[in-house]
Formats: sequence, structure tokens, C-alpha cells
Amino acid sequence: MPSPQAPSRVQEFQVIEAPVGCFRLVTEDRCHLTFRAAWASPVSHPKHYLALLDGRDRQIVLINDPETLPKELWEALQRELDRRYLTTKVLSIVSARTEFGITYWTLETDRGRKDIVTQSLQENAQWMGDYHLMLLDVDGNRFEISDTRKLDPQSYKKLLTTI
Amino acid sequence: MAKASAAAAEPAEQPILSLESDLTEDRKFGLRTLELYPDRVEVRGEAGARILRADLEDLSGVRCDSLVSGGRIVLQLKSGGEILAVNYSQTTSKYFADAAGAIEQAIEGEEIVPGETPGRLSCPKCGKLLPERDGICPGCVSRGKTMLRIGKFLAPYKSRALLLVVAAASTTALNLAPPWIQGSIIKEFSEGASQLNTLFGLMGIWAVVLLCQVGLQILNGRLMTHLATHISADLRSAVYRAIEFLQISYFDRKPVGAIASRVTQDTDRVWHFLVDGLPFFIVNGLMLVGVAVLLFTMNWVLALCILAPFPLVMMVSMIVWKPISNMFHRVSQKMARVHMQLGESLMGIRVVKVFAREDHEYERFMKRNNELRDAATQADQSWHTAYGAMTLFTSLGVVTTWTVGGAMLYQGQLQLDEFWRINAYVLMIYGPLQWFAQVNNWFTRAMAGAERIFEILDMTPETAVTKGVNRKIEGRVEFQDVRFGYEKSNPVLRHVSFDVAPGEMIGLVGHSGAGKSTIINLLTRFYEVDSGAILVDGVEIRDYDLQDFRAQIGIVLQEPFLFHGTIAENIRYGKPDATFEEVMAAAQAANAHDFVLAKPEGYDTVVGERGARLSGGEKQRISIARAILHDPRILIFDEATSSVDVETEREIQVAIQNLVSGRTTFAIAHRLSTLRNANRLFVMDRGKIVEEGTHEELIAQRGAFAKLVETQSKVNEVIGIGA
Repeated sequence: MPSPQAPSRVQEFQVIEAPVGCFRLVTEDRCHLTFRAAWASPVSHPKHYLALLDGRDRQIVLINDPETLPKELWEALQRELDRRYLTTKVLSIVSARTEFGITYWTLETDRGRKDIVTQSLQENAQWMGDYHLMLLDVDGNRFEISDTRKLDPQSYKKLLTTI
Repeated sequence: MAKASAAAAEPAEQPILSLESDLTEDRKFGLRTLELYPDRVEVRGEAGARILRADLEDLSGVRCDSLVSGGRIVLQLKSGGEILAVNYSQTTSKYFADAAGAIEQAIEGEEIVPGETPGRLSCPKCGKLLPERDGICPGCVSRGKTMLRIGKFLAPYKSRALLLVVAAASTTALNLAPPWIQGSIIKEFSEGASQLNTLFGLMGIWAVVLLCQVGLQILNGRLMTHLATHISADLRSAVYRAIEFLQISYFDRKPVGAIASRVTQDTDRVWHFLVDGLPFFIVNGLMLVGVAVLLFTMNWVLALCILAPFPLVMMVSMIVWKPISNMFHRVSQKMARVHMQLGESLMGIRVVKVFAREDHEYERFMKRNNELRDAATQADQSWHTAYGAMTLFTSLGVVTTWTVGGAMLYQGQLQLDEFWRINAYVLMIYGPLQWFAQVNNWFTRAMAGAERIFEILDMTPETAVTKGVNRKIEGRVEFQDVRFGYEKSNPVLRHVSFDVAPGEMIGLVGHSGAGKSTIINLLTRFYEVDSGAILVDGVEIRDYDLQDFRAQIGIVLQEPFLFHGTIAENIRYGKPDATFEEVMAAAQAANAHDFVLAKPEGYDTVVGERGARLSGGEKQRISIARAILHDPRILIFDEATSSVDVETEREIQVAIQNLVSGRTTFAIAHRLSTLRNANRLFVMDRGKIVEEGTHEELIAQRGAFAKLVETQSKVNEVIGIGA
């Protein structure tokens, strides 16, 4: 079975951020003016298997453990990942109210407080693991509760009585 | 020069385009406004202060990056750098894609076609977020108006509806009779004038009342069921019919599931309310009025005492039943998850067994099952607790009657018979009262469902469905400077012009996204051109009767769609009155006759849902037979042979040759060799026809087509297919 490229490949490329916010990926043989970083398995392996893809979404390199990358490089990539993954992390549930089959939420998130509305929780409250929940609002925006056990007791109660 | 600055706002100049985003530069929730002016792009912050300005003359392009759960617009500078213009969430991504297209057009100096205007996200009345952009706010639906509109569906059943009203009023009146009779018997007794004849007389009246009550109850139920089922069926038919004639762009925007739920779930909600909620409301509402009138007639002081707690009872029942209603909603969600899990396991039972994953699937099922158990336990236990507590209200009326009425009785202000009657009437109204809050919830949901149905009914259908020119087409097709984009600001076809003679076969060639299928979509009038014109036999296609026009076009798609039914029924789909001989002739021409005969049921073979019981090649030949029998003047092949193997393709090619002769034909084919017989080939690139000619002429030109052929030959060599 083919294995992912070994971390040793890490030595063979570098990411240049110039100007700020614009990244270039330089490998042995070429410079990729457009590339994007994508987690291979963001839910089950949130900190491993980072793929760098070219403009046609073909893999240039796969990094098994990005934390082994040189610090500056990893920080540059993290900035790019932060820009790319706009999934919002839910810190607490201020209110959750179901009316007429529609659920209105007020959430405290890592991006600030947000009011959202979800339809059909059967489809739009997706359990990604035993305690890992993804809420999808009516526009498809993702609101992630990575561990429901870590919510404060009141938020946890509101969640359990809603979904 | 592009620069970021915090300078003051520009003088009042109206932007060509202004679009609000809900994310800031550091991806926090906040307002940002992207504005496009004739000479620049600006981004403004919450207070309107400019935080970015980029002059168009300094820009080489614009990039619209699709991110996870949102996107961003990046401006590309001629100097080589890039600037982040704006981040946005999924909520506005569609509109920012349009905006990027408009900026691109502005940079290239083209005419700017503004995209769709974003609709409302929140209800203008109550401020709550809407479940769909520009959708219905379930809390603010004008229930009266909606109910009146549903009432219009009563028109065909006027006599039944009238009978129902009479029957409901009579039922109420009769329900009030037994306590009155009981009171009369007690009066006779208490006045010492008790005679058996009077008693039997009154009991006789009671028996007649009882029989009438039963008869009317049955009549009521049957009438209500008839009306409710017929009205909801009429609603379903009306919404289905409206959906059939909606513009194709509506289907692009809405997922199939959401559209289907309008026909099923929303009409179901209306139906349930009409069957269960409305009868309850009518009968108990009339009862309430009737009893109130009687109570005030008999003793207004006691009536006031009895009716005084009504607002409290209604309020408490609303508070109590709302969370319980949500709990039951949760139970139905959990039940749906169990069904989904069960269905998946059963459908994939072979895979489960092959991988010996029975235990794993059992664990998954048990997890869902336990969730359902817990939710159902919570809901049922809460219901029983609340129901038990609510009986207090039923007793409240009785206690009031006995306390106040009892005192009046002792003091001689009330007769025993009156006391008895009042006591009986109180029991009749306090019980149902606690459910009125539930009916309100039911009613609101049903009206929200009805509103969504009416939203579809009120939509603009495809233009000129039944009006326009109605004539037999010869087959001349002209495109005159056609421009079109699925998003108006992002044209997929630009300045496309050609003229095709009747009976000519045209091959459309080009990379994916070049605009080949768009030509087909416009010719079939699935979409209307943004500018320019399409003429068939010298008449603009929008002037034709739409259905008559489409009836003269035949399409064979890459993934042929067959309906559940027999092979013969599918071939006959476009010509239902075709004889069996015609069906067989079409199948022979489509090279399908032999394989059909080889099946045990021949032409009566049921193809299964979407033709699942046939192979890809068989389905394709049936769809070609269907097109042959339909006898179209204009024929379209959209990658008709790309999903079958080479051997099957040869068989299909024979069928196609039988079909195209004498008809104007447009063919899109991935395998260029299949277009050798085309009279002309149009080579498309980025929405334009870049080359035109016969296969040989284009090869000789050594241009884009020659390159495509060369690339494909090399690929075919590698995978071992003859070019």
C-alpha cells in the first residue's frame, strides 16, 4: 500500500510570505504562486496530515506532522490555515430556542457573539464523534463544538434539551 | 497606486456595486462593505470609514477564493503583489462571487453587469433571523390571510363545507342538551312534582339527542376528513404543477430535498391541522361560546367567577406545553435518525457481512436507539407530569362552582337544577381549554407551511408556456451575438454567433467549462439569453409556444434518465399514443431491439427506479429509441457515449446514425473521433467559438482542435484505446 510522503520531504520546500498575507510555495524544481493548505482529516486528525495543493488541487506535498516543521515555516502555514478555515468554534451557548420546527441560537464563539438559525436538526446538527458536534446554519456556515463535555453546564443543558 | 488607508469617507459618490460582508479582516464577526466605483475598489468598516482603496488602473485581476465555510476576495496588483479585500462567510459567498466577476469586468474595461441583489436575512417585522434568505418568518405569517387563501380551495366543496358548519353548530347545541335535561329532572324532583311520565318523557328526549349526537359526530368526522384530504390533495397538486413550470434556475438554487418538502411536508402540516386541529378548534370554540352564553343567562355572577381564571389557564398551558412540544419534536428527530441508520445498514447488508462488521453496525444502531429511548422517556414523562398537573385546572372550575355556587345554593340565590347544569357545563369547557395553546402552535406551523406553498404558487413560471407561435419546425438555428451567464455578472458565453442549416450536424468541442452545454441549455430554453438572440427558422425562440417548441427537440444525455416502468413505456414517453409496432421499430433503429428480446419479459421488462435494472449501454439505447419515436426536428447529444465502453459505444454510434439523418443535430462528445461524421465542428474556448470547420479542415489548420485531437490520441495510446 502506498504510504503518504515521509516527513523528510519537509526539508525540500519552503513557504515564503511576501507581502504579508500572500504565500508562495517553493519546491526543489519550481515556485508555486498559488497553493493552498488543506487538512487531510480535520476532525479525526486535527493536527496531522497537512496537504499542500497546487492551483488545480493536486497534492504537492503531504506533511504528516506539521509541528516538526521549522518554527517560522509552521507559523506561516498556520496563518494561512487560519485564513482558509473559517469554521467557527463555539465557546458557549447563550440561548437555544425551537419554534415552529426552526431553532434560533445565540452563540458565543471565537469570532464573537453570533445569532444563527438552523432548520431540521436531524440533518444540520451533525455528530462527528461521540462529543464532537457541528452545527450547520441555513446558509451552510459551520459552527463547531469540538467537545460538548467542555461546555459550561448551562450551555451543555441547553444543547441537550435542543438537539 | 493600491494602498490601505484610514482616510475619511469620499464625497457622496454612488458606487456601482455595494455589498456587505459579515467578517472582518481578522475573521471576527463584523460589518465590512465592499464598494466598486468606476475607477476604484473600496472597503469600508462598521462606521463607514474607508479601510482600503485600490485603483482599478493598478489592478491586474481579482481572485475569489473559496474557503471552508466562507471565502475571500483578493485583489491582484500589476506590480505582482496581492491585497486581501474582504473575508466573507457562506451567507454572502454567492454574492461576493458575483462581485468578483463585476470587479474583473471593471478592470478589463467591459460593461459591468450587476449580480443578484442579496435578499433579506431577518424579518423586517420582528427582527428574527429568517430560515431562508427572503423567506417566510413563521412567527409573523399573516395567519388570517393565509387561512382565507386556503379557504379559497374550499370552492369546489362549498355544499359540504356549509353542511359541516351546520353539523358542527348542531353538535354544539346538542352537547349542551343533556345537562339541561338532567337539570329538568332534578327540578321536577326538588319541586316534589316527580312523575314517572315526565321522567320517561325527558329520558326519551335524551335518547333522541344522543342518537342525533352520534349521527352528527359521524357526519362531522366524515365531512371534515373529506374536506381536509381533498383540500390538501388539491394543494399538493397545485404546488407540484407550479413546480413543474418553474424556471430551471430555481432548481439550480434549491436542493431537490427542499423542493420536495414543499410538496410533502408543508402540505402534510396543513393536512394535519385541517384533520385534527381545526375540528377541535371549531367544536370546542363553539362549545365555549355556547356554554358562556348559557352560564351568563343562568347566573351572571357565578359565570364571572367561573370564567375569571380562563386567561390564567391559557397562559399556564402555553408555558407548560411549549417545552413539551419541543421534546416531542426532538423525539421525531431521533426517530428519523434511527430510521436512517436502519435503512443504511439494511441497504448495505452485503457490505456489512463481507467485512464482518455486524457488531460495529449493532453498536451504531444501539447508540441511535438509546438516544431515541432517552428522548422518548424524557418527553413522555414530562407529558404525564404536566398532564397530571393540568388536571388541577379542570378541578379549578368545579371547585369554584361548588364554593361560590354552593354558597348561593345555601342562601337560596340558586336553584339545585341550575347548580347541577352549571356544574356539568363547567366540566365541558375546562378540559378542552388547556389544549387551546397547543392548537395555536399547530395552527402557526400549518400556516407557515401554507405560506411556503403559496410562495411557490406565486412564483413567476417559465415565460410563454402556452402562448406564442405554434408551428412545425424545419430546423434552421441561428445564434446572434449571444451573451449569457448563470450568474449575470459572470458570462459563460460571450458574443457567440453561428448559423446552422436544417439537417446539418454540428459537433461542439472544447475543454470542460468552455460553454458547450450552455449552448444546449439556451437552445432548449432552460435559460434566457442576457443579450443577443436565438432564432429557429427565423423566429426568436422566446416567441414560440414553449411546450410546442420543446416537443420538437430531442435530447440524449450522458446519464440517460429512465422512469420506473416497462421498457415499452419508457420508449413511448414522448409519444404516448405510439403503436407497439412503432415502439419496436424505434428500438430496432436504436440498436436496442435484440437485447430487449433477450430479456424474459421483453418490452414488458420493468426497468426499475431510474432504470437501475439495465446496464449503462442498454439505458442509453432505450433513451435513443425514445428520441427516435419522439421524432424531433432538432436533436441534441450531450456526451451520449462518454459513459460506456468502446464496444457499446460502437453499437450506440450505429443507433445515432439512424437517428440524425434529416434532423438538425448538435452533439457534444468527449471522444473527438465520434464527431467525424459531423458536417461542421465548433471549437469553443472560454465562452467563444474560436474555430469552425469540418474535421479535416480543422486538423489542417493545426490550431486548437488539432491540439485537442493530438492530446487525446496520446492519452488513448497510453490507455490502449484506438483513436
